[in-house]
Amino acid sequence: MTSLPSDFLGRVFFILQRYGMSYLRGAGTTLLISLISTLFGCIIGFGVGVVQYLPIEERLPWWKRWLLVLAKGLLKIYVEVFRGTPMMVQSMFIYYGASQLMGINMSMWFAAFFIVSINTGAYMAETVRGGLLSIDNGQTEGALAVGMSPIRAMNYVLIPQALRNIMPQIGNNLIINIKDTCVLSVIGTVELFFASKSVAGTYYTYFESMAIAMVLYLTMTIVASKLLRLWEKKMDGPSSYDLATTDTLAFTSGLLTMAPAKKKERRD
Amino acid sequence: MEPILQITHLKKDFGSHQVLSDIDFSVNQGDVVSIIGASGSGKSTLLRCINLLESPTSGDIRFHGESVLDSSIDVPAYRAKVGMVFQSFNLFDNMNVLENCMISPVKILKVPKAEARDRAMMYLDKVGMTSFINAKPRYLSGGQKQRVAIARALAIQPEVLLFDEPTSALDPQMVGEVLDVIGDLAKEGRTMVIVTHEMTFARDVSNRIIFMDEGVICEEGAPEKIFNQPVKDATKAFLQRFWNR
Repeated sequence: MTSLPSDFLGRVFFILQRYGMSYLRGAGTTLLISLISTLFGCIIGFGVGVVQYLPIEERLPWWKRWLLVLAKGLLKIYVEVFRGTPMMVQSMFIYYGASQLMGINMSMWFAAFFIVSINTGAYMAETVRGGLLSIDNGQTEGALAVGMSPIRAMNYVLIPQALRNIMPQIGNNLIINIKDTCVLSVIGTVELFFASKSVAGTYYTYFESMAIAMVLYLTMTIVASKLLRLWEKKMDGPSSYDLATTDTLAFTSGLLTMAPAKKKERRD
Repeated sequence: MEPILQITHLKKDFGSHQVLSDIDFSVNQGDVVSIIGASGSGKSTLLRCINLLESPTSGDIRFHGESVLDSSIDVPAYRAKVGMVFQSFNLFDNMNVLENCMISPVKILKVPKAEARDRAMMYLDKVGMTSFINAKPRYLSGGQKQRVAIARALAIQPEVLLFDEPTSALDPQMVGEVLDVIGDLAKEGRTMVIVTHEMTFARDVSNRIIFMDEGVICEEGAPEKIFNQPVKDATKAFLQRFWNR
């Protein structure tokens, strides 16, 4: 083993030279888990959020109403449990609980995706419900009026708009996930934090190693938020159009001059 | 000839508040019926009942002789035959102008895409909005939104068009462009029911006027009769207030 350089930057480069690949692999794992889990979390969140949004209408048959109440109750419990406990505890609880109680030995990867997805889903559910509630009722009525069933109105009109409304929240969740996957180190997932800690332990270079981890985490979160902003802009569509010049019907209001003229006739 | 729409003994309560009581009227092919009356007289509720956006408390609505309140009726299919234009436009904010006019023909009525596009362009041309097909609704003025909403309603090729105060949310200088479009549709012989506060327009464009007061049809007849020789005191008072405004 060659000896460590004595200055901070020297040590950072020394570590990077030897273990650069471990950091990159760790960062890749972090990114993969957070991206895929955010995606699945959104799908779960949309499912749960849409169910919570559905009104329990009087005219539904009794068994449908009963089923909806039951589903809402169960989903409420799911949301409360996963929002109300730390993800670090959840991951150990699920990982070890599954093998001990049910004899299921989750692969570490599956456990990681599962835990982060289900956690994101719990947070997203309330966000989606809020996103749906914020849409003007006129959108639903417009959809029904052109012949859409309530389900189609949901698919074509409400969900796309809810998705746009909650994009900032989805971005927020992605960033939280990039950071919070570090708790998966407790079940042995070799993500960025686990990798950094291992390298740190080899040479007792905690400060240097964590400095590298900080830079990598920050790079990932900043890039993620910038990309999401671009996507949002794209969803909004272009904002400049050739206005009015070809709009022959605008400002042809003949009515304003007509009304007073008729007024006199009526009076006598 | 059998009327397209026949409404009999229609009643609508919101809780203990009775909005419509015992409404009877029918709409024949080619009719342009304007419903006038003070705010809160139940005009909009009546229109929304026809389209089943509100479910009537009692009474019947028949479309070509068939009750649409029957539980076996396919409500979305019925609504596709009765186009509706709203006071607040209700264009789909997530779609551009062309998509707004194509979504229902393509996804619901299963019209081939190319044909649906041609059809949408034809109606957008009629309302003078072809140069805005890529614009999202939020970039349009109120009058433009309402014209697109009319094109969207036309694109499903309904048998009856319902207008729920189509110009009430517009700035005065935009009212004309929308009324011009509706006037053109009337000249084409389209069957329409229009709830409006534009009396001059109602008089010029309709062949029948219905005056509503406190949830009942107070007076009904040809525009000349209602506007020139109203019989009921409520009608006289309402029109007097209007012309003196």
